[in-house]
Amino acid sequence: MAGLFTADIENRGLVLDPRTKLAVMITLVVFALGGAGSDIQAVAWATIALSGLPILLLATARQWSKAAVFGLLYAALKSAELLLVPHLSGAALSVVGVCCLIFVRLMPSLIMGAYMLSSTTVSEFIAAMHRMHVPQQITIPMSVMFRFFPTVLEEFAAINTAMKMRDIRIGGRNAGKLIEYRLVPLMVCSVNIGSELSAAALTRGLGTSVRRTNICKIGFHAQDIAVIAASAAVYILWMLGLTGVVK
Amino acid sequence: MSENAAVLRDVTFRYANGEQGALNSIDLEIKRGECVLLCGSSGCGKTTVTRLLNGLIPHYYEGELSGDVSVLGRDIRITAIGELAGTVGSVFQNPRSQFFCVDTTAEIAFGCENMGLPEAEIQNRIDKTVTEMHIEKLQDRSIFNLSGGEKQKIACAGVAAMLPELIVLDEPTSNLDLDAIDELREVIAAWKSQGKTIVVAEHRLGWLEGMCDRVIFMENGGISAIFSGTDFFAISTEKLNDMGLRTVHTDCNYLESETGLHAIKPYSGSEVITLEGFTYSYGGQDALDIGRLELPVGSVTAVVGHNGAGKSTFVKCLCGLQKRFRGTITVGGKRLRSKDMMRLSYMVMQDVNHQLFAETVLEEVMLGADEGSEAKAEQLLEKLGISHYKERHPMSLSGGQKQRVAIASALLAGKNLLVFDEPTSGLDFRSMECTAELLGSLDSDVTVLIVTHDMELIDRCCTHILHIENGRIQQVVDL
Repeated sequence: MAGLFTADIENRGLVLDPRTKLAVMITLVVFALGGAGSDIQAVAWATIALSGLPILLLATARQWSKAAVFGLLYAALKSAELLLVPHLSGAALSVVGVCCLIFVRLMPSLIMGAYMLSSTTVSEFIAAMHRMHVPQQITIPMSVMFRFFPTVLEEFAAINTAMKMRDIRIGGRNAGKLIEYRLVPLMVCSVNIGSELSAAALTRGLGTSVRRTNICKIGFHAQDIAVIAASAAVYILWMLGLTGVVK
Repeated sequence: MSENAAVLRDVTFRYANGEQGALNSIDLEIKRGECVLLCGSSGCGKTTVTRLLNGLIPHYYEGELSGDVSVLGRDIRITAIGELAGTVGSVFQNPRSQFFCVDTTAEIAFGCENMGLPEAEIQNRIDKTVTEMHIEKLQDRSIFNLSGGEKQKIACAGVAAMLPELIVLDEPTSNLDLDAIDELREVIAAWKSQGKTIVVAEHRLGWLEGMCDRVIFMENGGISAIFSGTDFFAISTEKLNDMGLRTVHTDCNYLESETGLHAIKPYSGSEVITLEGFTYSYGGQDALDIGRLELPVGSVTAVVGHNGAGKSTFVKCLCGLQKRFRGTITVGGKRLRSKDMMRLSYMVMQDVNHQLFAETVLEEVMLGADEGSEAKAEQLLEKLGISHYKERHPMSLSGGQKQRVAIASALLAGKNLLVFDEPTSGLDFRSMECTAELLGSLDSDVTVLIVTHDMELIDRCCTHILHIENGRIQQVVDL
């Protein structure tokens, strides 16, 4: 079950603190997406190495197939950017160059996002937000929302099955109404589930003014320190680059 | 402390959205430590009573409320729902929509966390609840890997950890099989021995025998009769059915029979559908292994077996919904492979909302039908008793009527192997009877398979039983 905040706690591999994941995410946004310090040779290489980190993390969370697919894709795009693009010219250069530019920059952050969502549980997420002093009024609605998505996906799968049995498909007689046919039952089912879910939450005291406790144990371990150190190294290199110590 | 856990005085309630289940001047006292069963047909108001007790009415479900309701000495009108949370626990019908966390331990802790208890106290309560309910095996598991019965146990544990004085259960067994119901019964017995007050609203009655002190029979939003537990469970089946209640004792338990196909009613057809190579495995385990099976055409066959016996894998294969499945069926001399089975078969799902798409009933049933078969469609709707709804939106119909629309659409699309997944779960006696009549009255070329735990339904309409265990059957008994 790999969806939003629905980590399979029976088989999840190495666990990182959600705040560590956030730190890596911010670092990737600054360097890989934002391209900070890309004119400094050392930072550029460090950014490539850092971009491999989310793929490595996916592997530590035992999401082998995702790690492999993303890893190969990123490797292919990056090597195209480094090896192929300098030899191109004209239209080929603009098409391939732009594609590489966009995807190579976006991908690390996207992969990190996929890893964050699929390796964190709702309770860990709430606990981390709590430690970062984000108010309850924001975290509670968000956590209910995250709980709601996987259920909607399940409903969607059931509806698709039903459509298959009725032979409603692209190319069929009713192709024009495919979206409407999906949305109507999906909305009816989601509304039902949403209202049942809220009722159940209220009877268990969610949303009272009492300050919520959280028994979920999160905290920094050796693996967190290693990952944070790797991210911090990039910033340090950048600083050193800016002050002219490295090139 | 008064001796009453809850007192309802001249309570009248009407839902603002016109939902069924209004109450008309109800008077009811529930004593501390009592176990009370609320029964009656759908829409009689028993769920409404449970919602008054846990404060969902008037704080969540809106409507006009008059009269006084006090729960554990507090007026529910002025008590916020969150304040009641620690003293009134609620277990609902659908395990799918009462969970917040993805792991079981966090789920048990959820209510206590909301109450803001200290961490150490919560850990204590979890440990105690887990030991008391014997669910050590269910700790630290992913919710997605639990069976329906296990989920309902975790829901009960989450409620129990909050140490409520009053526990309200609204149709808690609707989605459970017989074994899971037995386990739920044990949970309730333990609560009873701890002196907790328990209120259960239910259609299924048998499992509460010997457990309830009082049984409250409701009709049309009023209390028609109050029985003592012993008196109620001595009422004859005929009388119960007259009252619109499900049977308490069913004579036979088909799960005790040998695995395989058995005829339970005289049956005259001679044609058969031959199933071959019904084997399927996932994760290295054989989920299904049935070499050959002959299903009589036009029969109504109940597919029974314990949880995880392979019943749903079997019917999924039969409907062509299971990927990588290689078996075949032969009917009328034609041999069909997995992906062609879908043209012949149709599954009516437990939540029929998933399979109604169009804007009107007529349009819905015409979706898969040939052009120009409107007359045939009208005839079929007439036969199923839903012809005067043909211009209505399918979603605006009642559960039973939706089921009929789904059946009509399958039949018009030329499907004559219909599979039903628990068609009577959560239905009262009269609706169950209607479904049974309907399934028994389909044309003789329509073969019906019903995956069900409902012995009463089987008694009423099935001609055959297919008992599967561990994905296997023994040699087929003579038809």
